[in-house]
Amino acid sequence: MDKKGKITYVNQAFEKMVGWKSKEVLGRYVVEVVPRESEKGETVLFNERILTKVLSGKVVIADLINPFYYIRKDKSRFPASSIVNPILLDGKIIGVVETFRDITKEKEIDKAKTEFVSLASHQLRTPLSTISWYTEMLLAGDAGKLSAEQTKYLDEVYRGNQRMISLVNALLSVSRMDLGTFILEPEPTNVAKLVENVVIEQMPQIDRKKLNFSSRIEKNIPLIQADPKLLSMVVQNLLSNSVKYTGEGGKIEISLSLDLKKRVLLFKISDNGYGIPKNQQAKIFTKLFRADNVRGKDTEGTGLGLYIVKAIIDNSGGKVWFESKEDKGTTFYVTLPFNLLLKKNN
Amino acid sequence: MIKKSNNKKTILVIEDERSLLKAIKLKLEKSNFQVITSRSVERAFTTPIKNVTISNVRVALEHLEELERVDAIWLDHDLLGDEDGLDFVTKFKANGGKWSKVPIFVVSNTASSDLVKTYAKLGVNKYYVKAEYRLENIIKDITLSLGNKDK
Repeated sequence: MDKKGKITYVNQAFEKMVGWKSKEVLGRYVVEVVPRESEKGETVLFNERILTKVLSGKVVIADLINPFYYIRKDKSRFPASSIVNPILLDGKIIGVVETFRDITKEKEIDKAKTEFVSLASHQLRTPLSTISWYTEMLLAGDAGKLSAEQTKYLDEVYRGNQRMISLVNALLSVSRMDLGTFILEPEPTNVAKLVENVVIEQMPQIDRKKLNFSSRIEKNIPLIQADPKLLSMVVQNLLSNSVKYTGEGGKIEISLSLDLKKRVLLFKISDNGYGIPKNQQAKIFTKLFRADNVRGKDTEGTGLGLYIVKAIIDNSGGKVWFESKEDKGTTFYVTLPFNLLLKKNN
Repeated sequence: MIKKSNNKKTILVIEDERSLLKAIKLKLEKSNFQVITSRSVERAFTTPIKNVTISNVRVALEHLEELERVDAIWLDHDLLGDEDGLDFVTKFKANGGKWSKVPIFVVSNTASSDLVKTYAKLGVNKYYVKAEYRLENIIKDITLSLGNKDK
């Protein structure tokens, strides 16, 4: 493509894949010849195309969580993976080369894998419940009094099992998201109350680490159209991360406020904990990724929490981002739009 | 309701996983319940009472009619046989038998919100996801909602 995004050359694979002959497309804008759309069929705007961004000199990191589709000449579509490289001459961008391929097969395999994970996790739940309930009964002395040492060992069994249960739950959530069967069920939600409830749930852990916790929740936050279960999951994950990754006696602050100008609800959580190393920040929302500094300190994380948070927020039309410095702390921001809902409630 | 000299509450437990069923029975008895167990919906309606375990829908249903007292039903979603907990609740309510007003508590492995909603629509009192609750807490909760004052 030249620097305006007009096609200057296409190879045979292109002709085969999208159905256009070379002579039909030369000199035409590539974004018109091969439109791109999201999974749901929404057209990707010209300004949002990676090609456009690369041509204007921007470095783009593609969002691999949301796949996109290219549209063929016959209007059918296929999922694609693409790489766009600028062509530089004397340091100036004079055009780009886009290499893309059809990833239909990969997606099918990925789906089969996800379905397997979902099924397997579900099957794991019954034996996990058995372990959990019998350990619970032993610890309660239902089968006779235990020695202090036996109690200690069983406590470890119980806690290990609880961890496995949360891992299986997280895996199930992730597989549902990946399969697209995790459907948002929005309803008018009192987000302030929801945040308070999550805090109450985690107070024991906060107290145990003697963390200095404070929260500022704006008054009169209206009901927001949101899925309360999923939103709770977002807040739970962010708060438990802060608690886990802040040293004893550290500080955690949360706030919830309305930004009337941008028409968003903003949730903010900051800590003065371990932080995320700079060179690993780009990967932090990736499935099963855990930063090196915390892997050494804590074995409980699954590497799924932030992936889940991002998937939920993206699907809710909101945004999530963070600022972090290693050994200084991390602040996460989440916004949720509320324009759609006020209509309903007022 | 039938008065009995024994003021223990009677609970019918329908659960197909033997090990879980045993745990539930033990813990309920410790918590002062009279327990009747069942592993299928079928058997809950047919088999004679004494200490049978029921794990499918039909047995559960027939079984029920012969009981002298039922104060609550503990129901798993996945059961032996072709029918599941939903079939049980549907038939149970449709039957209009003498226990059709008895509260039902679903204790299942599945956390799908569709399933939870369907059960709620059918008039089930509460839904618990197994792995997420301590056995003790489910029983406390049920006891509370039954207004069980004897302990």
